[in-house]
Amino acid sequence: MADKNYYTIDPEGKLRCMKCGVPLVKGKAKFMYLDNGFPVELPVCPVCGFVYVPEELALGKVLSVEKALEDK
Amino acid sequence: MAIEERASTHVYHQKRMFTKEELDALEARCVHEEPPYCSAACPLRLDARAMAAALAAGDFDGALALYGKITPLPHILASGCEAPCRKKCRLGELGESVDLPALEHAAARFGQRTGGTGMLRLKKKKTAAVFGSGAFAAFYTGEIARKAYPLTVYSGFENAAGFLAAAAPFADAEGVRRDAESLEAAGVVFVRADALTPELYAEEREKYDILCVSPEFLSLLGGGEVNEAFMLCESRGVISAPADKKGVLDAAFGARKAALTADRLAQGLSPDNTRGEEGAVETRLYTNMKGVESSRSVKPAGGLYTRDEAVREAGRCIQCRCDECIKGCAYLQHYKKYPKKLTREIYNNVNIIMGDHMMNKPMNACALCSQCSVVCPNGYDVAEICLRARRTMVDTDKMPLAPHEFALNDMEFSNTEAFLCRPQPGFDKCRYVFFPGCQAAAIAPETVERAYRDLSARLPGGVGLLLGCCGAIAEWAGRVSIYNDAVKLLDDSFARLGNPEIIAGCPTCARMLANHGNVKVTGIWDVLDEIGLPAGAKGLEKPAAMHDSCGARGDGHTQSAVRRLAEKMGCTLVETEYSGDSSPCCGYGGLVQYANREVAREMAQKCVSGTDAPYITYCMACRDRLAREGRESRHILELAYGSDAGSPPDISGKRYNRLALKKRLLNDIWKETTPEMDCGFAIDYLPEARAAMDDRMILESDVTAVLQYARETGEAIQDCGTGLIIARRRLGNVTFWVKYEERDGGYLVHSAYSHRMNVQTR
Repeated sequence: MADKNYYTIDPEGKLRCMKCGVPLVKGKAKFMYLDNGFPVELPVCPVCGFVYVPEELALGKVLSVEKALEDK
Repeated sequence: MAIEERASTHVYHQKRMFTKEELDALEARCVHEEPPYCSAACPLRLDARAMAAALAAGDFDGALALYGKITPLPHILASGCEAPCRKKCRLGELGESVDLPALEHAAARFGQRTGGTGMLRLKKKKTAAVFGSGAFAAFYTGEIARKAYPLTVYSGFENAAGFLAAAAPFADAEGVRRDAESLEAAGVVFVRADALTPELYAEEREKYDILCVSPEFLSLLGGGEVNEAFMLCESRGVISAPADKKGVLDAAFGARKAALTADRLAQGLSPDNTRGEEGAVETRLYTNMKGVESSRSVKPAGGLYTRDEAVREAGRCIQCRCDECIKGCAYLQHYKKYPKKLTREIYNNVNIIMGDHMMNKPMNACALCSQCSVVCPNGYDVAEICLRARRTMVDTDKMPLAPHEFALNDMEFSNTEAFLCRPQPGFDKCRYVFFPGCQAAAIAPETVERAYRDLSARLPGGVGLLLGCCGAIAEWAGRVSIYNDAVKLLDDSFARLGNPEIIAGCPTCARMLANHGNVKVTGIWDVLDEIGLPAGAKGLEKPAAMHDSCGARGDGHTQSAVRRLAEKMGCTLVETEYSGDSSPCCGYGGLVQYANREVAREMAQKCVSGTDAPYITYCMACRDRLAREGRESRHILELAYGSDAGSPPDISGKRYNRLALKKRLLNDIWKETTPEMDCGFAIDYLPEARAAMDDRMILESDVTAVLQYARETGEAIQDCGTGLIIARRRLGNVTFWVKYEERDGGYLVHSAYSHRMNVQTR
């Protein structure tokens, strides 16, 4: 079965890891909250694994899912 | 130390917040659902309040629909009803009652029935017959026709018009005609019998399943006792009515009961089966008549109301309802729920094992101020419900931490980093300790310092100082164990000072600390009242309103003492509708400003809506919240000590104020050196970044921690489009992100945001 992703962001080479000096790539990540996991694809540093959560995502989808889970 | 987030959404502990009996007893105290006086007096239970509202809005069809619910013959009932409702109308106490019968008549005349005539309705299989005529027989015929039983009426009349005209000689011909139309439309068969005799009855009765006889015909048959509850003459097996009930309303109500009995008999059930509540009742409704003026009924110029006259008369109805709690409370107004409904929904919310807890937000949006318990005629206390619900959900690990985490962290900050407990220099033990409260130190540190210096100079026996949180935050969050930790910290601290008398600067602190047992707590307002105001104390020039703190609810002594102080300082006080014990909460209480900013704002707006005058408060949180609404507001200690705390600080400012106050006092009064509050690098903020941080509850200390982490680890990314650097750090249960540029060895923050979810690669 193909991997299910709830959300995908492609950094399109616009983001760079300052520690490793490499561009961030679209990579597999997972949001975890209150014992629930959501696989996503986010900009990730291929070397150190730094996962970038953009502001719009944090204040939009992530916040709404947090609120929904908090009331479960 | 971060407070632990609950482990999982898959937690199935359950604990009831009330027993069923406790819940019933609580709910019974709310009279919002009780019928209005007019409806309670009506045995047919006309919703006269709703009918009047419909008429007042010009909705005659809607009014007729409501009236039609209680009778199949609206014109006849409206013409002849004895109207016990009118006697119970509360307007009658002041002037003239609403003329409900005339309104009913207007609804019947001007309203159009909607939903068809019922001609095509499928008839029931059981058949019914009526023998005789008169008002009871007429109403019963209407009721049975409405229930779609094939019905035959044996009487001296060959049609509905004649049958009804004889039954209602008081009604106008047009009204009788319209009621008759509805019987005809329902397919009632009228058999004219010139001589209605027992022989005819004996001949015909076998053809029908359900029989009804008029009281007159029952006596012709030889009589029999009629059970008034079911309208059943059991000895003859027929439905009838007692001969002594002659009124039109008696007939209509009797017919209603008889029709229900007919239903039960048709179903082969006992007539007493599931009848529900029938007849007039005593209502427990409370209606506040304050502000209601005496008025007289609209007199119909032409004998009967015109449409316009009916609308005006209906507009006199004051729509009796008990909304006392809702009127004064922005929270109940926001959720549009009265306490009984709210309690049931919160109770269910707490009991949910799986699924969405829809009432989490509402139960965390109550200020726990107990204003409702004062304004409710029965003392209903929503605070008690919401607090118990919060505690129960914390106990069962169902309470989300997000709504309260910032406040709980703030309390921990007050009781660790910003905590200070010292005896007055020169004293090991003190006779007093000044406890200004965390918000006073956060919002008006200068005032706290001046107050402490004044008290320690003028009171004998030594005055210690304790800067910290009384525990109210944990109490409001329903976190009993954190509250108990705070109690222990404070009790240990008081013990170190020699268990002094506590001089509280905040009424909520005073109340919380008084619960510790074996302590004497006095408000600073009482102390100043006794020892006199400090030099330079000066009230406001303009007349001002006193905003009473919810911490002083039920504490008339404190309410008077602060007013006395204000007047001694030359203030002229104006009273508002909701003051003293019925004062609304500013939105700080119950942690509403953290859990639900929208409701908290509505609460503060409600507070300042009472008058245009500036407000004087005696709780620093009230001062802060009212000032945030743009209203001039001053804490009474600011006036007493001649220090204006100015514009409300943001969340980081409130933390800085507490730390800076502690440091200053330690340096200046106790001559203790303290470490610098500098992180070692400069951080500037764009104004929009600072505003966003306040809105998102991100502290400068969070930003500093992120930047420190980025400096130490080098973990950061750069957005090649904007050139900004983006770093993050997980602090406790939250990941904080900062967007910034490096500048002269320091940082300029462009934005900061956070999320609670943890993110990792997979």
